[in-house]
Amino acid sequence: MPDTKKLWDEALLEIELIISKANFTTWFKNTHICHYDDGVVNVSVPNEFVKEWMLTKYHKCILKALRDKHQSVRSVDFVIQKDEDKQRPQKLMIQDEALYSDQMHFPELYVSKEDNLNPKYTFETLVIGPFNELAVAASQSVLKNLGTTYNPLFIYGGTGLGKTHLIQAIGNQLKKNDANKKIFYITSERWATDLVDSIRNNKIHLFKEKYRKYDLLIIDDIQFISGKDKTEEELFHLFNSYHDNNKQIIFSSDKPPRAIIGLEERLRTRFEGGMMVDISQPEYETRLEILRTKAKGSHIMPPEDVLEYLATSIQDSVRELEGALNLIVVQSQVKNRALSVQEAKNLIKNNLKPQKTISLKDVIRVVAEFYNIEEKILYEKSRRKEIVKPRQIIMYILREDFNTSYPYIGQKMGGRDHTTVIHAYEKIKRDLKIDQLLGQEMEQIKTILYKEYRPV
Amino acid sequence: MKIECIKDKLRNAVTQAERLTGKNLSLPILASILIEAKGSKLHIRATNLDLGIELELPVKVEEEGKVAISGSLLNNVLSLLDGDDKIKLETVNDNIVISTKKSSTLVKCFPADDFPTIPRVTDGSEFTITSQKLVLGLRSVWYAASLSDMKPEISSVHVYSEGGEFIFVATDSFRLAEKHIEKKGEGGDDLSIIIPYRNAVELIRIFEGITDHVTVLYTKNQVSFVSEVYGLHITSRLTAGVFPNYRQIVPKEKKTEACIMKKDLLSALKMATLFTDKFNVIAMKIMPVERLCEVTAKNGDVGESVSQLDATLEGDDLQANFNAKYILDSFQSIKEDSIVITGSGPSKPLVIRGIGDNTFLYLVMPINR
Repeated sequence: MPDTKKLWDEALLEIELIISKANFTTWFKNTHICHYDDGVVNVSVPNEFVKEWMLTKYHKCILKALRDKHQSVRSVDFVIQKDEDKQRPQKLMIQDEALYSDQMHFPELYVSKEDNLNPKYTFETLVIGPFNELAVAASQSVLKNLGTTYNPLFIYGGTGLGKTHLIQAIGNQLKKNDANKKIFYITSERWATDLVDSIRNNKIHLFKEKYRKYDLLIIDDIQFISGKDKTEEELFHLFNSYHDNNKQIIFSSDKPPRAIIGLEERLRTRFEGGMMVDISQPEYETRLEILRTKAKGSHIMPPEDVLEYLATSIQDSVRELEGALNLIVVQSQVKNRALSVQEAKNLIKNNLKPQKTISLKDVIRVVAEFYNIEEKILYEKSRRKEIVKPRQIIMYILREDFNTSYPYIGQKMGGRDHTTVIHAYEKIKRDLKIDQLLGQEMEQIKTILYKEYRPV
Repeated sequence: MKIECIKDKLRNAVTQAERLTGKNLSLPILASILIEAKGSKLHIRATNLDLGIELELPVKVEEEGKVAISGSLLNNVLSLLDGDDKIKLETVNDNIVISTKKSSTLVKCFPADDFPTIPRVTDGSEFTITSQKLVLGLRSVWYAASLSDMKPEISSVHVYSEGGEFIFVATDSFRLAEKHIEKKGEGGDDLSIIIPYRNAVELIRIFEGITDHVTVLYTKNQVSFVSEVYGLHITSRLTAGVFPNYRQIVPKEKKTEACIMKKDLLSALKMATLFTDKFNVIAMKIMPVERLCEVTAKNGDVGESVSQLDATLEGDDLQANFNAKYILDSFQSIKEDSIVITGSGPSKPLVIRGIGDNTFLYLVMPINR
């Protein structure tokens, strides 16, 4: 098998000598050998007009030139192929867009019809940090071994952290890797509506057929199907058909399967049967990196200190981060200059949630509420088991998360000795390692606590 | 080659073909048209390697043969010849002599062998459509296509068939036009082609002067339009790629609706455009409660204009800015005397239709200001 690029270059040199320069540039520009198989050379040409003319006029001359270079060439075929990677003047487009930035685009125009994927979600545009690196790694390995290693892949995490971006990126990447793979992305809500429609129109068999033909099915926001019995049942069958045929299925949700209330047991276990990864909140460095990436395309790049300010003040959602950045970009476009930190502060102050610190009282209140006991009982000397445990958990959280001193904790918890606190802390710490239930409770308490009060 | 024919007929054919000659191409032969006398017909051919045309003209052939000749030159010569309506064309030593009773013109020719052939679709699917319908479909939407070459799939007109209709659609991502044309006869059920908009413009121009059934043959890469009566064969390259899924941007709910006389809105918009900046920004107010429908334009340098319109209004208040040109564009596709404008909330596209006409749909995005 000869080196096709070299072969074609050499042949072109020869052809160039035979025909006129004008003819050569007109007909042989944008041609190359796209395939070589057993003596048959496939030359790719840009359109039918060129193909026709190549066949009638230059066929012999090309064949001769090729055969001179390589004896095994027996025939030449022409195929029409678009130059996909043609360098398009990207810069020009950005300028154009700056000019028309006020004119709004149709927002969803570029979602592809066949697979529902939005091409703007790719791995290249995804900012990877410690908060999502496990999820990305799992996605990559799903791409490598479709349908076998991690099936299903279940990605969960809070709103606005890039779940949709990640799962669509998997789809887009697969599409790029292998154009023959059938991919489909759908939100669980759309899927459920589709199901209801098909039942109403007596076309349930078509519905089943439609969703079973894909190699990769991505269902977004699966938590919404909980409590819809028929939908859950249909999903169960759909899932089984994918799993049995080694076809990949990917779910995303805002919470882990066991936290989805009303989800049927058989579905829950199936969701957990593959790979479950969570996307947590990005840390400061990642947030800054996200801002830098998103700001790159904008007309006036916000200065670094403004980005830093944004990254510090907005913490728990990438979407909020993007919203605030957009606000600043638009404002600086109006003013036609970059904004200062003070201006940025004023601009986004309405978008920020009021920040509160967590006081010791809050911890006690949240834990008491969680275990459904009255706060004041905690301060008493009672040694009833259901009182002791919450009391110890409070001490543990205060020590572990807030680094409060042992004597102070003891004093606040009804005048206890600091050794009692040490004992409580050590006990919970030890128990957490062995008692799974306790671990879950701790997780839930912390979620409630930090959701309510965002740390500064 | 030696032929005799009616001057005007030849001139018409040459004018048609000349528009498709390649300009700014490295190959000079593409700027010429090929004329070939064969049997009792004169075949005229021109191409710019994107779109190719072949015409037949019944003439008196005394001697067969073919020449390639500069399209614009031939066109000019024919238009300046006066007097007799019969002309003779004869090749003399690689040149062509065009003679009437009173004059004789010698034009240099190119070697005809270098002239490319126009590909023909042979193994594709086909259907027939009347030329009027084809023109109506293309003409109703082509202006909405993107003029930039950045995204070839939207600087094109997408034609596909669905539910016994041909659907023509074009968009530049700011606005979108869609036209449904009733499908008659067999074939074309799997039609889904993307025609570059420049070629669509030429197709409109060529077929609007014709009344005939047009056979359309198509494959993945090209499409041919054939009219037997006129001996016309046109082949166009098709845009590769997938036309965007535009269905989902069509708003499903109606929040505001206004029904306005077309001529009223037209004059209001025309008045407003006198006072717009280079982005043609106009402000539109539709306030059903106050029974107010208003078009405003303001330009610091020129002045401002406010026009109130008589209209039937319904639903929520809507205030938004638009590019007046985008709205005006849609009027050419609306034959009805009243226009229905539907809004579905801020930052959502505005829907424009002719009253009682479900075949045409126009969407336009507001301007963010």
